[in-house]
Amino acid sequence: MHQDSSPHEPDSPHSLAGLIEEAAHLLPAQGPISIFIHHNTLHAFEHLPFEEAVERAAERLGCEPFLSESRYRDKLASGRILAADVEALLDEHLGARGAVDVAGVGSRLDFWRAVVLHGIPAATGRELSWILEETPALSRFRTDVPADARSATAVIRDEDGNVGEESRAVRRLWTACLGAAGRTAPLQPAESALPVRHRDWLRAVHGLDTDAWIHPPLIRFLAGYLDQGLAHWSMPEKSRGIHGCFLEIYRTSLAAQCGPWARALPRLVSDDYGAGRDALGSIANSLDHLGVEKAERGDYLSAELLALRGWAGIVRQIEERPDRVPARDITVTLRGYLAVRLLIERAALEYALRQIGLGVQLPELRSSLQRLAPQPPAPAALERAWSLFHLAQLCGLDVSVVEQWKAQDVTDLESELQDLDGIRRRRILHQAFERTTRHRWYDALARHAPQELSAPPVFQTVFCIDEREESFRRHLEEVEPACETFGTAGYFNVAMYHQGASDAHPRPLCPVAIRPVHYLAEIESDSDRFAGRSRRLGRRAAGYLGYNVHLGSRLPVRGAVLMTVFGWLALIPLVLQVVFPWLSARWRRARETSTTASRTRLQLNREEKSPPIGKHSGFTVREMADIVRRVLEDIGICDRLSPLVLIIGHGSVSLNNPHESAHDCGACGGGRGGPNARAFAQMANDPRVRQILSAEGLHIGAHNWFVGAQRNTCNNVVTFYDEDLVPKDHEALLERAREAIDSARRREAHERCRRFDAAPSWYPPVAALAHVEGRAADLAQPRPEYGHATNAFCVIGRRARTRGLFLDRRGFLVSYDPARDRDGSILARIMAAVVPVVAGISLEYYFSYVDPAGYGCGTKLPHNVTSLLGVMDGAQSDLRTGLPWQMVEIHEPTRLAIIVEGTTDRVRWVVEDNPVIERLVRNRWLWLACLDPESGVLCELRSTGFVPHTPKHGLPIVTGESADWYQGKRGFLSPAAILPRPAAASDQGASA
Amino acid sequence: MMPSVSLAVLVLVGVGSPAILLSLLGCASLLNRPLQERWTGSLAAGSMLTSCVALSLAFVVFGATGTGARLLSYGAWSAAHEGGFAVEFLVDRLSLAFAALSAAIAGIVSAFSNRYLHREPGYNRYFVLLAMFVTGMLLISLAGNIVVLFIGWEFVGLSSALLVAFFHGRPAPVSNALRVFSVYRISDAAMLAAAVLLRHAAGTDSLSLLFGGIRSGSASDLTGTSATVIAMLLIVAVAGKSALLPFSGWLPRAMEGPTPSSAVYYGSLSIHAGCFLLLRSAPLLEQADAARVLVGGLGAATAIFAALATRVQSDVKSSLAYAALTQVGLIVVEIAIGWYTVAFLHLVGHACFRLLQFLSAPNVLHDLHGMEDAIGNRPSRTVSYLDAVISTRLRRLLYLAALERGFLDSIIDRVVVEPFVRCANGLTRLDRWLCNAVLPAQPPASVEGVEEQDD
Repeated sequence: MHQDSSPHEPDSPHSLAGLIEEAAHLLPAQGPISIFIHHNTLHAFEHLPFEEAVERAAERLGCEPFLSESRYRDKLASGRILAADVEALLDEHLGARGAVDVAGVGSRLDFWRAVVLHGIPAATGRELSWILEETPALSRFRTDVPADARSATAVIRDEDGNVGEESRAVRRLWTACLGAAGRTAPLQPAESALPVRHRDWLRAVHGLDTDAWIHPPLIRFLAGYLDQGLAHWSMPEKSRGIHGCFLEIYRTSLAAQCGPWARALPRLVSDDYGAGRDALGSIANSLDHLGVEKAERGDYLSAELLALRGWAGIVRQIEERPDRVPARDITVTLRGYLAVRLLIERAALEYALRQIGLGVQLPELRSSLQRLAPQPPAPAALERAWSLFHLAQLCGLDVSVVEQWKAQDVTDLESELQDLDGIRRRRILHQAFERTTRHRWYDALARHAPQELSAPPVFQTVFCIDEREESFRRHLEEVEPACETFGTAGYFNVAMYHQGASDAHPRPLCPVAIRPVHYLAEIESDSDRFAGRSRRLGRRAAGYLGYNVHLGSRLPVRGAVLMTVFGWLALIPLVLQVVFPWLSARWRRARETSTTASRTRLQLNREEKSPPIGKHSGFTVREMADIVRRVLEDIGICDRLSPLVLIIGHGSVSLNNPHESAHDCGACGGGRGGPNARAFAQMANDPRVRQILSAEGLHIGAHNWFVGAQRNTCNNVVTFYDEDLVPKDHEALLERAREAIDSARRREAHERCRRFDAAPSWYPPVAALAHVEGRAADLAQPRPEYGHATNAFCVIGRRARTRGLFLDRRGFLVSYDPARDRDGSILARIMAAVVPVVAGISLEYYFSYVDPAGYGCGTKLPHNVTSLLGVMDGAQSDLRTGLPWQMVEIHEPTRLAIIVEGTTDRVRWVVEDNPVIERLVRNRWLWLACLDPESGVLCELRSTGFVPHTPKHGLPIVTGESADWYQGKRGFLSPAAILPRPAAASDQGASA
Repeated sequence: MMPSVSLAVLVLVGVGSPAILLSLLGCASLLNRPLQERWTGSLAAGSMLTSCVALSLAFVVFGATGTGARLLSYGAWSAAHEGGFAVEFLVDRLSLAFAALSAAIAGIVSAFSNRYLHREPGYNRYFVLLAMFVTGMLLISLAGNIVVLFIGWEFVGLSSALLVAFFHGRPAPVSNALRVFSVYRISDAAMLAAAVLLRHAAGTDSLSLLFGGIRSGSASDLTGTSATVIAMLLIVAVAGKSALLPFSGWLPRAMEGPTPSSAVYYGSLSIHAGCFLLLRSAPLLEQADAARVLVGGLGAATAIFAALATRVQSDVKSSLAYAALTQVGLIVVEIAIGWYTVAFLHLVGHACFRLLQFLSAPNVLHDLHGMEDAIGNRPSRTVSYLDAVISTRLRRLLYLAALERGFLDSIIDRVVVEPFVRCANGLTRLDRWLCNAVLPAQPPASVEGVEEQDD
């Protein structure tokens, strides 16, 4: 009975359906949490320039656009922002206006510089009174003022006995400022946008919060409806859609018991049911009853959706991609949710109406409340004087100057200050912060001499572009100087649904923009059939046991028996996992190897049988050849393959971490990239593929062998695939590579541990490795790893440009050889694949850090997994999207700087040719620079075009290993060139 | 005499070490010099370990030397006309076992929390409250008189409410903590009334009379009526603390704190404090049949209600909370029937198992995927036997009632909170009217705040 389309609402953009579509854009675009895909939190604002977008979004969503001013000031003090960069920015920003004198105080540039660098503490109302009465604000001059301003007050403060003198002088200045403010005409109160929702008016006038009444039952209903298998009883009548299901369940007088406010609910529900309204019809009816005019419907619906935006967002996500959730029996629509929401809200508003006893009907409620609403007060003289008072101190003005101020001067100063309000100051400071940070990377890249290998490499390794691989690659190269490393998107161009031998369901392993058509299964290929069977049976038995314990513990009788007889046994895993996580990690691994097949193979070849998902089972030889060619061309090693090539994907396994998937490979759509690496290696080893490629001029000889592997970025375990297929004459080489990787694992863990407070800095690499292994298996660990935190830039170019540079795990490194790319087409496809992914990661970290509670999902500690879709805070809350604070806490929120090795012409052409990248670049959601392959000159793209960058900072040169640079240091480290010790550099490596 | 001395020392060490931890962390915080994370963590772990070892040893020593119960007195700390305050611990197998279990679980949780709350701004506050909680639990388990019991009871209640409000930056934890706290006040008032009545009726505040094995016949001093009244009051206290009906509404609301605090309170120890108290007062219950029937009925009703509610909860913490409540209800039933040993084993097993489940609640996605992979498919939902019996309409009603948690909160809001607030508002108006009548020339005071509902 509940159809989605409705006869009385044509589907034009201004119809109800169109308005809902439009309003939905603002909702968070995070899907189910077990497939976490990093994306730009403010994707809906990407059509605007970055600064404007964050400021508008902040207003709209009630979030922070930048860090707080004090955070930036801390960074100024610690040198993370250079004052010179602030000045340079102000200079650029003000241009000729900078020289103009402002009210006799000084040039505008000086004025702005003083205010931006030192700030005027915002204080109004009671806070201001408190500051004036309880702090020394009126007895001491500020000491954090510009040097030239200080000299003006120094006269009074210098001599010790003159505190009374100083206090008198401060008072006099304050009185003068009060006088100046008093002489000027009163200001108009600041205009603020009027709320649209009834609830906001009720709260402003009567302090009643109807959302606090209706959200708990609404969340319970919605979570129950969307549940993917957590509750033992699923909701009845799910197939009728959200609205239909709600009508069925709440069409009883019992529904009035949901709360004191719910008296009208059964009546409203029956009315909808009786009239046979569908979701859209119900919304239209509710809007009429609420007195929402046609013209404001869009705003009203958007505000309603944003009131519980996490839940509305997940409804939207499932509506758009129902294939991403396992539950098949639900019909999720945003309009269904809105219809239910408005019904409940109407019931609550009717109750509130009676409570306040205003004697009006629901449609007139807002207008009558508006008349009662208190007007925002105009700034009082005290508040105005406060700004002037600080201004006078910052500009080092004498009292006599202030006393001379006329009304016009004060007005000028105030309008200047209004121009330079808190948001503007933060914007400038943020830009300066990014500039300082960015220029460090530019300088390092411009100054670093390319490190070419003197001899052909012994083996080559291809990693994901992930910045967590930067350190691993660097250590590997330090351990084994004769190896070469590359970075390419970690799905290795194998887009597929993959089902492991021990997986219940296939899952997509490719960037989220691609919907794979190929299905690839892993099958057991043990020679010992019996062992395989018993292992499978054992696994199944363990699975059923686990499930029955999970379920039984929630049932009364089974639970009672279970608890009474076996309950105390829980002490064993408790003590093991909580007190000795490292031991339990070892045990877990040992157990896993005994229950997973010892030998498996990928079903790579095309088969005719239809796959469970996707279009084809396996790949054709032609498709494989294309995949192999593409990756080898991208990284530029078609003509210089070494005998052994390792393809290493990555993933991350951790416990007690609902955000586990956010640590996996972004290029694999929040999955683990090992199967992709394995499939790629198998394809490249296939003689049929080699034959095709050879006919096309890409020779992979019999002496070349590819091995796939996966690195667990959390516990640093590297697993190799299909080792038994490695030819005899490559075994020694593989052994050498494996030893180097083992050593790199320890060293990388050691470097990573410097950011973990819990790992003492004296830990040797072996202990560091044990430490990260323990983290991965620790139930009590909210930070198994730091994921992408601290990511700051991306280099698309030859490894020679970055080899030997210590980049502090902060850069995505994409291999690209401009010399082997004749027409720029390779660069174009690399950037098309890579830039949206890295921009998404960087921006998600930016927003989750800048406003951890608004854009991020706050601290992990009270998180409560709900409906298997996401997390709530504590007992019940909006569904929390974004990243938890524990994941981002060491991040530096800056936009990503992408540095491409290539001529400016080529880069400009590539960018202009790709609308997605063009928009990101034009609106400065990321920075773009070119590193000229020939001259090594670095140019940054500004609004005026590419501008050459002049390095300011030197590049420290460290002889030895990375550890010599980072050892004992916890915070951010600037880039340094790590050069091997001239003598005996090679034997040292092997002994690490 | 040796074993008795060493027993006294062991018990003192067992209770004393968390108490010392509490005063140390508490004083440091009061002086605004909170200890470093490192120190706090190791001190807490050390103190819990000491306590656990001491109490386990005490259990062994006691088991070796005798049965029955023994009252350990650590002196009268104040004396008044009739009685006073003496620190007395009642030691028997039950109290020592529960105390040792509490210390062990607290030790595990403090090791867990040390890493889980690393770098959290409230780290120090959390450990102060945890120390307060453990001290309270040990006092409850070992209390020899009702004053000691009451102190422990209050420690547990206060720290519980403050930990629910741990994230006081958001409004929900604070208002939910207030709700929890209000229910605890009712339970505490009942406990206090029971204490006064007990003193009045039996002339002693010693619990050896009621609890434990000293049945010298003095318990029969209590007449049937007063035994029943005291038992009823105790039941109210127990129902509030263990979230039995009709107080169950606060339990899911208490899931606001950090995961380990939810685990140790509502999965493991605090939720069982009521059951333990019932076990202790078994001799009293045995004398009051009406109370026993009431307890049994409450337990059974709670178990049925919670078993229904847990089936439909779609978030892991509420689901576990009601699952825990189901078992608590059953434990209460077992006590009412008189299966004390079974009840105690059930309690211990449940405390350990539920702790593990709560601590690994954030792992539920990982666990369920693992099970699915091992089984090879999504485990098919067993068709509930209820489905077969009841009609669709009844099923919908049951579902709604379970989803809305029996409407308990809204009923309490309507029956208790609203009249209370209305009464308070009426008194405010009366007060204002009186003031205006008596003191005419006062500037209008702003009193809007008073009229806001407190919940």
